[in-house]
Amino acid sequence: MMLRRCALAAAVLLLAACAQVSKVADGDVVVRERLVVTVDTPWNQFERTMADKVPTWTNEGLTIDALQFFVAIKDGELISPTPSEPKGQRPLVFRAGMQAAEVVDLFQTLWTRDGSSLTIDKVAPEAFMGGNGFRIDYSRVRKVDEVRLQGVAWGVVHNGELYVIHYSAPRLAFFGRYLPRVEALAKTARARG
Amino acid sequence: MNRRRWLGWGCAHCACALAGAAWAEVGADWAPPPRFTRPDVGSDEGGLWAMMDREETRLRRSPFRMRDAGLEGYLQRIVCKLGGEHCPDMRVYAVRTPHFNASMAPNGMMQVWSGLLLRVENEAQLAAVLGHEIGHFMQRHTLARLRDIRSRTAFGTFISMFGLVGAVGQLATIAGAFGFSRDQEREADQIGLVLLERAGYDPREAARVWDNLIAELAANPGNDPARNSPMFATHPPSAERAQALAERAAGRSGALGEADYAARLAPLRFELLADELKRGRFDETLVLLDRMLQHQPGQAELLYYRGETRRQRNQVGDLGLALDDLQAAVHEGGEPPATHRAIGYLCRDLRQPEASRQAFERYLELAPQAPDAALIRHALDEGKPSS
Repeated sequence: MMLRRCALAAAVLLLAACAQVSKVADGDVVVRERLVVTVDTPWNQFERTMADKVPTWTNEGLTIDALQFFVAIKDGELISPTPSEPKGQRPLVFRAGMQAAEVVDLFQTLWTRDGSSLTIDKVAPEAFMGGNGFRIDYSRVRKVDEVRLQGVAWGVVHNGELYVIHYSAPRLAFFGRYLPRVEALAKTARARG
Repeated sequence: MNRRRWLGWGCAHCACALAGAAWAEVGADWAPPPRFTRPDVGSDEGGLWAMMDREETRLRRSPFRMRDAGLEGYLQRIVCKLGGEHCPDMRVYAVRTPHFNASMAPNGMMQVWSGLLLRVENEAQLAAVLGHEIGHFMQRHTLARLRDIRSRTAFGTFISMFGLVGAVGQLATIAGAFGFSRDQEREADQIGLVLLERAGYDPREAARVWDNLIAELAANPGNDPARNSPMFATHPPSAERAQALAERAAGRSGALGEADYAARLAPLRFELLADELKRGRFDETLVLLDRMLQHQPGQAELLYYRGETRRQRNQVGDLGLALDDLQAAVHEGGEPPATHRAIGYLCRDLRQPEASRQAFERYLELAPQAPDAALIRHALDEGKPSS
């Protein structure tokens, strides 16, 4: 267990060290060609993250706070592809007919598959990207370092494709500090093309 | 040598035998070693203990530690029954992690994971696993492993002077270090059995633990147990070991402690099953739940979880079976409120809108403050005919 933890931490640090970081410019930003958000405060963007298909922004560094964009996931696609899916584990596949509760189940599995403990504090309908979306608020204890995190995510199925913006940060200080900024950004989200 | 690597060695408990070492067969007259004294801090063993002491300090404060009233005290009493005069040197921590695992560090820190608590069927099975770990502790297998790794690392460094061949050699060295010594495992198994029987438990239960695990793993042919379970990474389950344990325990008997264990687990079981479901390993979970329901047929909580597991897996034929289980849970009574939510979703998918509406309404009636209440209310509003 210790060695797996150590390896994971090392991998995160290595990727963080190797990844190219760039500043996200103010104004309208296109994410993965299909999502547009309006940015009015500085963010750092990792060009490569653990999952290439999930662009990730941060204020304080990848291991502290992370704003993730799951963009235009099609029917049958994994929500967060990893280099090798563990055999026998539920593949986290989005289906176009999924309801909000099923999407929440998918993400709950994503956030706990490393052994982390997660409590859904609230799931409620909320307009997102101009559609009938939902918002998830949760608390999580990350297994790898036992840090208590809080998280929020907005999601919607738009034209049969899933869009989710997810932010998590340590409960103490960081989450509360950046939540208004993240909420403001999520309100600006709209589909492109 | 960095701290994390030491910790890994210290906790893993599997061991490569010291080269050429031969392990004596453990008989019924086996005598445990005298209590250990704290080793000199300047020695390799002293360093290992110091590392484990720091890890234990972290574990005491860990948010994953299960602080449920009396749980760790209950586990400690079992360990003391098994460990005899070593009792004051062993400290048990229950850790909420949904995998089958227990480990014991050389300083006496024992961790018992919640996935193990969920899977054993009685106190005797739990004692069998703890007795096995105590066997590693009493024989100081971790220290032997540390010394073995150290000698292998020195050898690996030597061969690394030869370029690629050296690199391959180092990999082989490291891989070997994490393999198992069959002799040490066998010895811990045998000591565990002796301790189990001396404490008055039925030693035949030891083999059943492994049989049950092997059945779970068989749900996913080709699955790599070592990759998916820390316990299996250090204690490979094998039919051969289960058979050896069964043969040694044949004809003996003892206490099962089934009622005591069930009473102790009851207040925790719902949450532990929720953690199990979140693992997303539905095939294994269904084997576990089938087994639990064989022992406790008609348990509404178990029926709910089996139904919910099938609903989430959603393979051919699953939804019908899931609905059967969920309705059976309601019929038995005392079902968790989430049973009605699951029926609501199922009936919606099966295009039974009225049954779905009734189930969602019942869910909200039983759990008006549920985290997803707003979402369910919204779904109900959407389903209403427009005026």
